[in-house]
Amino acid sequence: MKTLLKEGIKPHDGATRVDGKKWSLMEKLLLGLTLDQYVQQVIRNKFNWLLAAIFIVGVPLIIYRFVFGLGVVTHSSYEYPWGLLLGFGLFCMVPLSASGFMLGTTVEIFGRHDFEPIERLALLNGLLGYFFAVVYLLVDLGQPWRLAYPMVYSFGPAAVLFLVGWHVATYLSVQIAEVSTAFFEWIGFRRGYEFIRKGTIGLTVSGIILSTLHQGALGALFVYAPGKVHPLWYSAPFQWIHFFVSSIPAGLSMVICVSTVVIYTMKWRCDKRFIESLDRITISLAKGAAMGLITYLFIKFLAVAHDNEWAYLATGWGAWWLFEIFFGVVLALITFCVGIHHKNVALCRLGALITVLGILLNRLNTSLITFNWELYQEVPHVFEIIISITIFALYIATYRFILNRLPILYQYKSGVDS
Amino acid sequence: MANSAKTIMKGALALLFFFSLFMNCYATESYPGEIYIDILANHYQAVVFDHDLHVMVSEGCATCHHHTTGMPVINTYCASCHSADESAATVSCQGCHSKEPVTAGSMQQERAAFVFHDDKPDLKGAYHLSCLGCHQQMGAPTGCQDCHARTEAGDRFFNSGMFAPAH
Amino acid sequence: MCNISRRKFLAGSVAGGAAIAMAPAKKAFGANLSGFPDGLGVLVDMTRCVGCRSCEAACNKEQNLPEPDKAFDDYTVFDERPHGQHRRPTEKAYTVVNRYDQADGEKVYRKIQCNHCNEPACLTSCFVNAYKKTPEGAVTYNDKVCVGCRNCMVACPFNIPAFSYSSAFNPIIKKCIFCYDTRLKNGQAPACVEICPQQVMLFGKRQELIKIAHDRMRRNPGKYVETLYGDKEVGGTGWLYLSHVPFKEAGFNVSLPNEPIINNVKDFLAIVPMVLAIWPALFTGFHLLSTKGKSHGHADNHRHDGQEGHE
Repeated sequence: MKTLLKEGIKPHDGATRVDGKKWSLMEKLLLGLTLDQYVQQVIRNKFNWLLAAIFIVGVPLIIYRFVFGLGVVTHSSYEYPWGLLLGFGLFCMVPLSASGFMLGTTVEIFGRHDFEPIERLALLNGLLGYFFAVVYLLVDLGQPWRLAYPMVYSFGPAAVLFLVGWHVATYLSVQIAEVSTAFFEWIGFRRGYEFIRKGTIGLTVSGIILSTLHQGALGALFVYAPGKVHPLWYSAPFQWIHFFVSSIPAGLSMVICVSTVVIYTMKWRCDKRFIESLDRITISLAKGAAMGLITYLFIKFLAVAHDNEWAYLATGWGAWWLFEIFFGVVLALITFCVGIHHKNVALCRLGALITVLGILLNRLNTSLITFNWELYQEVPHVFEIIISITIFALYIATYRFILNRLPILYQYKSGVDS
Repeated sequence: MANSAKTIMKGALALLFFFSLFMNCYATESYPGEIYIDILANHYQAVVFDHDLHVMVSEGCATCHHHTTGMPVINTYCASCHSADESAATVSCQGCHSKEPVTAGSMQQERAAFVFHDDKPDLKGAYHLSCLGCHQQMGAPTGCQDCHARTEAGDRFFNSGMFAPAH
Repeated sequence: MCNISRRKFLAGSVAGGAAIAMAPAKKAFGANLSGFPDGLGVLVDMTRCVGCRSCEAACNKEQNLPEPDKAFDDYTVFDERPHGQHRRPTEKAYTVVNRYDQADGEKVYRKIQCNHCNEPACLTSCFVNAYKKTPEGAVTYNDKVCVGCRNCMVACPFNIPAFSYSSAFNPIIKKCIFCYDTRLKNGQAPACVEICPQQVMLFGKRQELIKIAHDRMRRNPGKYVETLYGDKEVGGTGWLYLSHVPFKEAGFNVSLPNEPIINNVKDFLAIVPMVLAIWPALFTGFHLLSTKGKSHGHADNHRHDGQEGHE
């Protein structure tokens, strides 16, 4: 794209072309480039080669899984029914996608319109994170074609997973509605855009409700397994609060990380408003994340105190827990604080990266690493790892595809009713 | 391992048998020398029970027959009622132990008639608990087929012999 | 005895999703329910087990399970240690007998199968209600609705449900169903109980089995350890165990709570209707407070900005 920009070609960013004509849908899809230009820039980009390599290996493996069953791509473990596909795909992707409701709340509910430039990115991050969590789930479910059963056919309403299922499904719809405003602008469906905008407050509030409950519910899922999850990672009364509170810095940090990647690799797509406000917004988001982290740190120790688990800290698992806390929470917190104090955007971004890694570590610890701590350690099958990477690559590709087109990072020049 | 123990035991029992021919205190009473137990045969063939041999090696009838033969009872729980040396009408195992499987419900019925007969095993249980328990203590054979050879139905049931898994 | 189970209360209250529904539910949480009063169970007396594996064979035939990897009279399976652990029920075997070698050289055998909990964790964790606790005491499973999420395997404190990973198009959970279809619903003992030569297992009403177990302990002082496993564990199980060695030495999980697993989750389930009821008003209130006197038309700003740039 850089090459094209140098040649003076302007990508599509509004309803009408420079010469006053409207863009056709095909032209919009090609970013306003000619087909040749588009294909050339795709081939020029080294990252596309990496994605292609991942898909060449991974997509056949996913097909292999659906033809021969989960047994051929996982260790088919009875003791570890949930492997990497859910441990990473569901339990990590969902908290990292908490950004949608966080920024939605900030902008729409609290009226902080200074966060507006990043709101749509946060909403999209939420939507795609959830969507791909469901993709991971579909690959991992034994009978994915029955996914809708708990909605329409057979109800188990006392189960936490029932809650997760319903809430993720409804929240996904809410997020599609929220992001659809950008889509309606892009295809030029003015009335759809206005219809959704009218319901913004309702959508945002239902987003908060659903997020509170299912972020917490993912934690509560592990409350079914006392004795399997290590006591330090297990807390019957607090597990859902831990998962919910940690999802706040996780979601905010994920937005910081994504915006960082975007500003370095896709700057052409960002408009002036986004570029100029990003530093200020990053620091503000870092403040929010730091507040979330310190709350999380406090309630993590509160849970240890509540169940009187101090003695476990002296064991090997205790050292691992302390590492998770000091790396993922305390170090991230310090980095954020220094970054915020000195208005150092780079440090805030580093803090966000550490937070994201810390949350990954926490979710993997709960769902895989310390799970069955008294039995044996399960190392995921190499095919399972490849499939997880493939779906993540698909996530990145989709993310980029949408960012390139829809008015997420830039404001759409609609010009319809002018 | 089991086989060598078996050989030694056989030798020892044979010796014991010769001595006890002259010393057996129950020699005058009548009892079957050999019992053919086929009442439960299905997966296994009938057991040919060498009663004579077991009379020789046991400490007394009460070891297996509780109070029924009129001998002093060994089990203290039984002894609390059956102290008198009166023999019972039936002495055979199946005379008292039901061929039908015992359940908690059937035990309750039994208890209504005999208040202390409250944990009586069924016939299959009685045979195995009595025989196998003693065999374990005495170092006698304890393998299933040491006492009863398996039938073809049994081989099929255990996926063994000609029905063994292919791999 | 109250014959409405805690599950039903929970189901009702969560489905209702309203704060009002929590009033009766709270009562149910406090009540001490111990399953169906006439529920059947099995008392396992481990002192009697000799490890003949007849029960495994009987189960295999009764439930039409696939051919085993090794013959049922092959006792080398007792030395198998998959993942360093003793054997466990699998998709091909609903029950297994294991040997636990004691420090003094004694060999203890223990049969493992679904314990048929009074308040089954698998059931309460299932989001399509595939599991059912029948009045007879069996925990059965409906493979027609199973989505294959395997939450029941996570929830089961005894690691019993086994997923048929080998199947691509109809993978389901395989577990002991107490021979419900073929025997239990007619009042018959399961196949494993019937085949056992040593009468290790006694079939009957759970309440009576508990009495019989305590009678055995009382009548044979020193023979048994002084607890009946399954009497209290996770709210009580249909299958109960008597042992002469400490249960830990026979591979039992002795750190299980006496409360049903669902009790751990009730804290969270209780907040669900609260959040549903309180959040809308709370956050709409925040919105009104924080945007009072300010322009709150975000959409309009957005559009104007865009047009300014263009025109």
